[in-house]
Amino acid sequence: MTDVALLPADEQAPLEGVIKGEVLRMYQEVAEHPEGEFHFYHGRQAAELFGYEPEWLDRALPGAVASFAGVGNPHLRSALQPGEAVLDLGSGAGLDSIIAAWQVGPTGRVIGVDLNPTMCRKAEAHAAASGVRMACHEGRMEDIPLPDASVDVVISNGVINLSFRKRTVFRELFRVLKPGGRLSITDIVSAKQLSQSIVNDPKLWAS
Amino acid sequence: MFVLLEDAGFQRVRSTVVPGFAFRKASTRDAAEAYGVKAVLFTAQKPAT
Repeated sequence: MTDVALLPADEQAPLEGVIKGEVLRMYQEVAEHPEGEFHFYHGRQAAELFGYEPEWLDRALPGAVASFAGVGNPHLRSALQPGEAVLDLGSGAGLDSIIAAWQVGPTGRVIGVDLNPTMCRKAEAHAAASGVRMACHEGRMEDIPLPDASVDVVISNGVINLSFRKRTVFRELFRVLKPGGRLSITDIVSAKQLSQSIVNDPKLWAS
Repeated sequence: MFVLLEDAGFQRVRSTVVPGFAFRKASTRDAAEAYGVKAVLFTAQKPAT
């Protein structure tokens, strides 16, 4: 959640690797066992809390809704238009990508990027079963696997806070957006610098 | 994140707190409150030229 690395570089790299593993594990757990208990609200309950249209949640594949693990509703301000190209950064089980795909229509396209290839395949399957297409690329948000100036809009939901290198993430978002492109992201911020004990705890960081 | 968006070159950066966001487990919720943790919706635009 911080924007500043607290650890020396030689200590940060191993911790970053452990946290990456914990992030992969936790969000795959949400996708595979959405009935489980987690630190955060998830599924339809969370989506309704954040103002997702009930008709979206009825229309999307139940598995995509049940695995929703966002922290807000980026669609409230995304103003997506037919034909636009959208990047869903950290696309997870695919609910936000599916909703975006409905809005940009068949002349638009939605590209997901997720750290977890299993989640990518799951999101693509959820999208197909919901009547839309999205292409998901395995990749890191600090090194987005897309060309410069290739998307009109970036959406993201509760993902960037998981990165140790947020400055790099925002530079990447700037790079992949076309001139005049926009972003609508929901994420977690903290008013105070997190303690070293929290930063060093992969489970807390990943939650 | 607001400052990081501006530093990256984005313009028209706006933020609004997400109402209703909370952690489910009481222990996490208490820690989050102590650190002023909030969910925020950010919007921003890349300059057209």
